[in-house]
Amino acid sequence: MSGRVAGVVGRAHQTWRRSLQVRVVTITLVASSLLVGGFAFLIADKITTILLDSARSDVRQRVTTGANYAAKQVSFYGQAQEAQLQETIDGTVNYLAGGDPQQTSGVVVAITADDYPNDIQTRTSPSANVQSLISPELRAAIADGKVASQIRTGRLTGETTKYLIYGSPVPTRFGQIELYYLVPLGRQDVTAADARATVVATGVALVILLGLLAALVTRLVVNPVRVAARTAQRLSAGLLDQRMVVNGEDDLALLGASFNQMATNLQRQILRLEEMSRLQRRFTSDVSHELRTPLTTVRMAADLIFAERDEFDPAVARSAELLQAELDRFEELLTDLLEISRFDAGFAMLDSEPTDLVPVVHRVVDRLAGLAERVGVPIELDLPGTPVIAEVDPRRVERVLRNLVGNAVEHGEARPVLITLGIDETAVAITVRDHGVGLKVGEEKLVFNRFWRADPSRARQTGGTGLGLSISLEDARLHGGWLEAWGAPGQGAQFRLTLPARAGDRLTTSPLRLVPADAALPFGGPRDGGTLAIGPGTGGALAIGPTPAGDGQRTEVHS
Amino acid sequence: MRRPTLLGALGVMVLLGAGCGIPAQSEVRVDGKGSAATEAGVISRGSEPPTRTAAGSDNVAFVRNFLSAASGEPDRAYERVKAFIAPEDKSRLQDKKGSEVALNVVRLGEAIYTLNSDSTTTVKIAVQQIGMLRANGTLAPPVATETEYDFGLRSASFNGGVNDERAGLYVIDPPNVLLLSDTALRQYYQDETIYFWSSDRSRLVPDQRYRPQAVPVERRVNEVVKWLVGGPSDWLRPGVVGLPDRTELINNATGGNGRWEVNLDMSGDDQNGIDQLITQLAWSLGDLPGQLELKIRNNAQPVVDLGERRDSWALYPHAASPQRFGVYDGAIHPLDFEGEPSGTVPLAPEVNRNVVSATLGLAKDRRILAAMVVTGSKNRYQLAVGTGTEQVSVLSRSGGTGYASISRPVWLRTVDSRPSRGLVVADGQLYRFDEAARMYPVPLNLPSAAVTAVAAALDGQRVALIAGGRLYVAAVNLDGGGVSIGPPRELVTSLTNPTAVDWGREDQLVVAGSVGQPAIYEISVDGALETPLRTDLGAKVNHLTAYPTNRSVRTPSGAYMYEANGVAYRSSPSERIDPSRVRGIAPVPAGVRPSNPSAPFFLY
Repeated sequence: MSGRVAGVVGRAHQTWRRSLQVRVVTITLVASSLLVGGFAFLIADKITTILLDSARSDVRQRVTTGANYAAKQVSFYGQAQEAQLQETIDGTVNYLAGGDPQQTSGVVVAITADDYPNDIQTRTSPSANVQSLISPELRAAIADGKVASQIRTGRLTGETTKYLIYGSPVPTRFGQIELYYLVPLGRQDVTAADARATVVATGVALVILLGLLAALVTRLVVNPVRVAARTAQRLSAGLLDQRMVVNGEDDLALLGASFNQMATNLQRQILRLEEMSRLQRRFTSDVSHELRTPLTTVRMAADLIFAERDEFDPAVARSAELLQAELDRFEELLTDLLEISRFDAGFAMLDSEPTDLVPVVHRVVDRLAGLAERVGVPIELDLPGTPVIAEVDPRRVERVLRNLVGNAVEHGEARPVLITLGIDETAVAITVRDHGVGLKVGEEKLVFNRFWRADPSRARQTGGTGLGLSISLEDARLHGGWLEAWGAPGQGAQFRLTLPARAGDRLTTSPLRLVPADAALPFGGPRDGGTLAIGPGTGGALAIGPTPAGDGQRTEVHS
Repeated sequence: MRRPTLLGALGVMVLLGAGCGIPAQSEVRVDGKGSAATEAGVISRGSEPPTRTAAGSDNVAFVRNFLSAASGEPDRAYERVKAFIAPEDKSRLQDKKGSEVALNVVRLGEAIYTLNSDSTTTVKIAVQQIGMLRANGTLAPPVATETEYDFGLRSASFNGGVNDERAGLYVIDPPNVLLLSDTALRQYYQDETIYFWSSDRSRLVPDQRYRPQAVPVERRVNEVVKWLVGGPSDWLRPGVVGLPDRTELINNATGGNGRWEVNLDMSGDDQNGIDQLITQLAWSLGDLPGQLELKIRNNAQPVVDLGERRDSWALYPHAASPQRFGVYDGAIHPLDFEGEPSGTVPLAPEVNRNVVSATLGLAKDRRILAAMVVTGSKNRYQLAVGTGTEQVSVLSRSGGTGYASISRPVWLRTVDSRPSRGLVVADGQLYRFDEAARMYPVPLNLPSAAVTAVAAALDGQRVALIAGGRLYVAAVNLDGGGVSIGPPRELVTSLTNPTAVDWGREDQLVVAGSVGQPAIYEISVDGALETPLRTDLGAKVNHLTAYPTNRSVRTPSGAYMYEANGVAYRSSPSERIDPSRVRGIAPVPAGVRPSNPSAPFFLY
């Protein structure tokens, strides 16, 4: 049950959030209901008050006249015991009630003598028992010589009705008797109810009308907006030729026209940029292809010279070696450019197959073992004992790893490079950690840019093309995976490649951390229970950082 | 989309339902003080009969009080009388309610008090039944025939031993009726004259009522209107009309401080009739000043000033100040008295002959109506009638051989210019006559038809008759050109053998009769109230005329003249009318015994 209620509430909330129309209509209805209800209340209340006041003044006049008449009639009698007094009271009551007891106006006239209960009997016309309707408070007020009134509900002659009971003292020579008029308020009640019903009906109709109006107006506004939203969605989905239908000349038409114009401009711009981009890529591809043929020739000539270098004089032999090396790099660059242009052109195809990544890592390390040994960087592996099977393109993964490990070795500064392989249910990850100069803040994004260099002036030792990380990133993306970098100055860097275990899956998490466990806190805080140093910083600021190593100087702060 | 709408509508409904509408019950709302209190205090009441203990142990006073006890408002008459009756005998007097309450009015005769051995007293009172005083104030003819009432008296002290002065007395074995003595009627009631329209609606006819003096004067208007609504006295009905059928007074007639409100439920919206009703009310209220607001079924009529209405509508428009005339030597002569107007004889000398008795009347436009008894042939009498504007010069005589005796004729006065009619008694039969002296017998519903005298009231709608030695009053109906006399009502008087009668006031008769010796009494029209005028007459009165004083013409009251044993007398001052008062007669030669003026009468 509560679940269903919760469901209804949830749906209502969702509708509320999603539909502008519902919101506007609801707000309109609530506001107009309050307003109309308030006015209706005031009007109905006013009508009732007017009806009651008119009845009151009417009865008041009658009771005053009646009391005067009754006073005249009983003024003959000096004692309550006189014989004809009761007869006079009967006659007076009948006269004041209109003379005819059969008439059915419902007004009951009564004369009571609370002070002389034994001598004068209560008389009413038409005959009815009014004692229960006349409250003790009213009696007390009349007995006090006041003209007073009260509304009470009761049953006198017919059905239960509201009565306006007006009482007035009638002075006599022997004391005071009381005259009461009991006037049924049936007509006023019905009139008030009618007025109320009319006001309510009008109010409800007004509220419904306002609701419908609000719905209509909102619909007029919301519909084009919805169309615009749909169109924009389609545009963003690439359907650049989608346009809104423009009707009329109003604000919404202006919106549609502007939207259409914007879409047109965007389309033109996008097409132009696409064209430019295509031309650029084409150019790169063409240049790469065009360069390949002469390069092949030069390569063959250079290979010949290089093979014969021993016969040259040492300086020429050295040149031949240089030539050979630069040609290698040139070829490599050309290959990378072609690869990039393939990515750009969208021709890159993923050739996924279940692959055990452990041999791939070993293969890469083996191939780079020579270079590592040369620069004195030990490569450490942290691989699981079991095969790590993932549905990947092994050639591309190997290229990515080669690139990452190569970079790590190159920037390793004779410190060890750690390659870690991790796996969980959905993904596999490989991190490559070095302890070189590291990356400055912000460079972890820049490193993937084409031809980006951390230090442009720094000589390239290994002759990297500057495209390696860009290609690696494209490869990772091609797998639906991530390639991310972390680095901090002086702490080295770590790159993490995360790939879905099954091709086409979406990645949500990675089995390995991007930031290595031994990385310093962002502000360089203490690590492993080290102390924190607070001292003067630059520009008069306070500098908080780890205590300089080996300082041993401690300041105890006591509070 | 539907949900918020529903919510909104619901919200409005709830707001309205909860917020407004007439509440089922409210607080008491005080609008201020009520109207100012009527001044508390005692209602101005007239005298009320004394209570049982007022007389102490005086038997005579106690009986007098007992016979007064019923007076007052009829509602409590039994209560008041029962206060005089010993507790063990109270049940003997059976209560009647409402309009059935009637008081036996009796004229008290001799009372005999006999002390019994058980220290009670037996009272025997001889009474003359005068009438029944009903709740509506009329004195109806008596029903009871008792001529004597017996009852006992005992001391109210507990063991019946020594008479305790303060404990007073009790009546034991009371009569099973409410008794009221004539003196109590005079003392504790106010006689009121109310008026009803004659059957042709041309004039107002007085009717006699009694209002208890215990009723506060504030209620006088109320009582009078109730009497009017209740209709005229029974004997008067043939000659008058009451208010329309089913006319009711709505509640009480109220007012004070010179303004009175009367609300009637009366059928008919004839404005003329309503105007006549206002006139009727104005005269019936006596000399009450102030404004009258009459409402017919709550429709207010224009406010009328009572005094102005009475001034503008005279009761007797053609009744001028009276002039005295008498018959001297067979001719009518004016009688002159100092300080009184007198005129000339409105008869041509050639017709002023052989007159025995006469009546002259003034009709509309000062037309003279003359009706005379003249001597005819063979010692028989004839009626001679003539009319004229200034002087009557032609007389018509009644046909036939004449009558052995003809009483003084009377005119039935009218206010319009219809031919006048009169009444006359000839040979014991009542006749009506017209201006041509034609006489028609008028049937009378009387046990003894031997009529001896007739007198017409100033309004012309009532007559007093003496027939068979009894005095009657009756209503006259002049509808349809004839004269019919309604059922006569006998008046019970102290006088026996009445011989002559005339109307002395609107509601009083002057009657000559005998109380052992000839006497003249003033008797109310219902016979209840008697005032002896002369009791020292030596001879039987055979001719009596009076000028009926009334509220329209203010002249000294009690003016009457009579003839006894051939000598004419006048009242106030009471003296013989000697020949020196007769104008226009030749001086009597010395030695010749002058004849006396006879058959004096008033011209008015």
